[in-house]
Amino acid sequence: MVTLTVDGVECRYGSIKILEGVSLTVKEGDFVGILGPNGSGKTTLLRSMSRTLKPHKGVILLDKTDIYSIKSVELAKRMAVVPQENVIGFSFTAIDVVLMGRNPHMTRFQMETDKDMTIVRKAMERTNTWQFADRPVNELSGGEKQRVIIARALAQEPKVLLLDEPLTHLDMINQLEIMDLVRELCAKEGLMVMAVIHDLNLAARYCNSAILLKSGRVWAAGSLDQVLTSENIKNVFKVDAIVKKSPITNSLYIIPLSLQKTAPCKKCAIHVIGGAGTGTLIMKALVDEGYTVTAGVLNMLDTDYETADLLKIPAVTEAPFSPITEQTKKANLEMMSKAAIVVMTSVPFGYGNLSNLEAAIEAAKQGIRTYVVDEVPIECRDFTGGKAAAMLQELRDWGAVFVKHPSELPTLVNATRDKLELAKHAKGEIPGHTKKLDAVQLGGK
Amino acid sequence: MTTEDVERKYSKRSSKWKLILILLVVALVAVAIGCLDVGYAPIDFPQILSILAKHVPFLNGAVNASSISAVNESIILQIRLPRVLAGAIVGAGLAAAGVMYQGVFRNPMADSYLLGASAGASFGYTLAVIYASSAVLTVIGLGFYQVVAFVGAVLTVFVVYFMSRVGNKVPVTTLLLSGVVVNVFILALQTVFELRSGKALVGIVAWIAGGFSNITWTHIYSVFPFVLVGTIIAYFFTRDLNMLSMGDDTATHLGVNTERVRRILLVISSLITAACVSISGVVGFVGLIIPHMTRLIIGPDHRMLLPTSAIVGAMFLIVCDAVARVATGANELPVGVITALAGTPVFIYLLRRRKTSYSL
Repeated sequence: MVTLTVDGVECRYGSIKILEGVSLTVKEGDFVGILGPNGSGKTTLLRSMSRTLKPHKGVILLDKTDIYSIKSVELAKRMAVVPQENVIGFSFTAIDVVLMGRNPHMTRFQMETDKDMTIVRKAMERTNTWQFADRPVNELSGGEKQRVIIARALAQEPKVLLLDEPLTHLDMINQLEIMDLVRELCAKEGLMVMAVIHDLNLAARYCNSAILLKSGRVWAAGSLDQVLTSENIKNVFKVDAIVKKSPITNSLYIIPLSLQKTAPCKKCAIHVIGGAGTGTLIMKALVDEGYTVTAGVLNMLDTDYETADLLKIPAVTEAPFSPITEQTKKANLEMMSKAAIVVMTSVPFGYGNLSNLEAAIEAAKQGIRTYVVDEVPIECRDFTGGKAAAMLQELRDWGAVFVKHPSELPTLVNATRDKLELAKHAKGEIPGHTKKLDAVQLGGK
Repeated sequence: MTTEDVERKYSKRSSKWKLILILLVVALVAVAIGCLDVGYAPIDFPQILSILAKHVPFLNGAVNASSISAVNESIILQIRLPRVLAGAIVGAGLAAAGVMYQGVFRNPMADSYLLGASAGASFGYTLAVIYASSAVLTVIGLGFYQVVAFVGAVLTVFVVYFMSRVGNKVPVTTLLLSGVVVNVFILALQTVFELRSGKALVGIVAWIAGGFSNITWTHIYSVFPFVLVGTIIAYFFTRDLNMLSMGDDTATHLGVNTERVRRILLVISSLITAACVSISGVVGFVGLIIPHMTRLIIGPDHRMLLPTSAIVGAMFLIVCDAVARVATGANELPVGVITALAGTPVFIYLLRRRKTSYSL
């Protein structure tokens, strides 16, 4: 049983600590993803495990032997490394480079034997590089070169394979092929693989465990379910992300949503009336701007409903594929009355959601600033025989502002908010400011 | 070419390499004998062959000794043969050292004088000429000047090497830069000493330009072991050189003890260069261009590049020296001039012939 143990490793460049107190144990057949943001110490960890960078404290044991006490030839028989950047000096051919992988198995006075040749050929066929074996590596594309380097690592017949961002130069198919190959080697031949991977989704799909680093320390380690949580991603990458399990690949997948706001949230609520996916971009944009967003009425399982759910937007909801009842309409109006601004998306109208339009008119009547996104002409999305069109006109008469495209909204909304703030100052609701109300011009009418 | 052919080609590679090397050695012997015919005294070719055969066991029985004139025998054996051999040894040594330096430094500008061997040797020689002209010391068969030049070369490389040490490692770039800087520094020192001495400097200038006009058998005996043994030892590290060209980290991952290999190869190549410089002066160009030329034809694999470069370097310098002897009548040209004049066009032709860019 091959094991690799990292125990209390600390690495420094000068006085700067890159890794601190890192400990972990990996067994044969494990495929471990080393994850973390740039500068979190992933590559340093890999370099210290590959004996390129000696740790200042702690030990790295391969089968209970300190790797720094193993001769380089012996270590090369057991551990292969695919580095991040590959210099290939001189114009060696692809097969020359892969043959170099046999070096640790040859004595100083030996030429490559037929056995070496067979191993090299197999490694090149598995990595899909045999067809250009005779071409100089310098003339190959980035992806081809990368696969040649992986073939060289396989030709070493290692027990441990360390990969530093192996997928950087590869296109989608090559990424999947290489990851498939590595996973197969883990599962069938008991290879132990540790790979620095930037793409969390690829890591989630292929690795069977992961280490998440933050500022040189292990933030989380273990199974993917334990490591890849939206909480961890939020803490380490400063990104809000959704983690779900794909029913097709049966693995986790991660959707990054937005950067965490460092600026404080704006104390201004906006209510979005949407449906059928028309509100998705708008809700996301407003949340990104820092507004408190509410939504309704949304039918459950509708695209906008899912978005609201993911973005944790409070919403008034109705059962799937059901018309809006009086009760939900009332709840919607109540939520709307707390908002400073109401946004109506260019949602198609049928008899089922006509009451959303009624609610918007109600809000406009109450003097709540109302925006209507009129991206698609109402004739094309009115399935009520002209009723919706008439009500939209009524909404316009009540002072609603029509915009042609959702992208215009954030600017308008920001201006409106500033105006509202100023109005409050003017009324003395917020003391300390005495700016004039008309200092901000509201455009868009 | 189908992939099956590739496999066959690569598994049959070592026998092909052996064949090329044998052919090159035959060519080298032919060139060397041919160049024995170049010189002022007209000695016809059959007589040269008889003189040589007379001194080869098993062949000497077939030679009619009475047909050989004693003067001609002495010209061939005491003057021309040592010169040709010295050309071969120095050419092979400089080219082999050039291959090692280029491999270790992964730099196309590297040549056998990179770490200051030439500057150190010249400076040593200059000091010896200025301050110790009457001293006639003889150590291991070398003249005093040669010993001083050798020591100067070795010392300089030593200084450069230890200047660049960081901890127990010697970073390649630091070493390269220190080499360049020390070269310039020593050259400046040498100029100061030359100008202050007020002596005739023609001898020094001629020595620095390089040549084989005063070669004797003792020179050959004292330098040949360095070149031969050094190149043989270096040969066992040629696979490591291949991997060093991928960068230190990768070489380490492939099982190469990079610091140790580099140290061994630097010591060997520096000793070879110092030995060569001490008998020939600073013959430029060979250590830089011959490895490149050979690489363009043979490919980058050092297992083949090192021996072929050595043989090609030997042939090249023998021919250049032959030209230097007779090119301008009574006054010999420095052989370094010929190497540059003859080598550049050939090298440019090889570079241009390649369709893709050449990278080291």
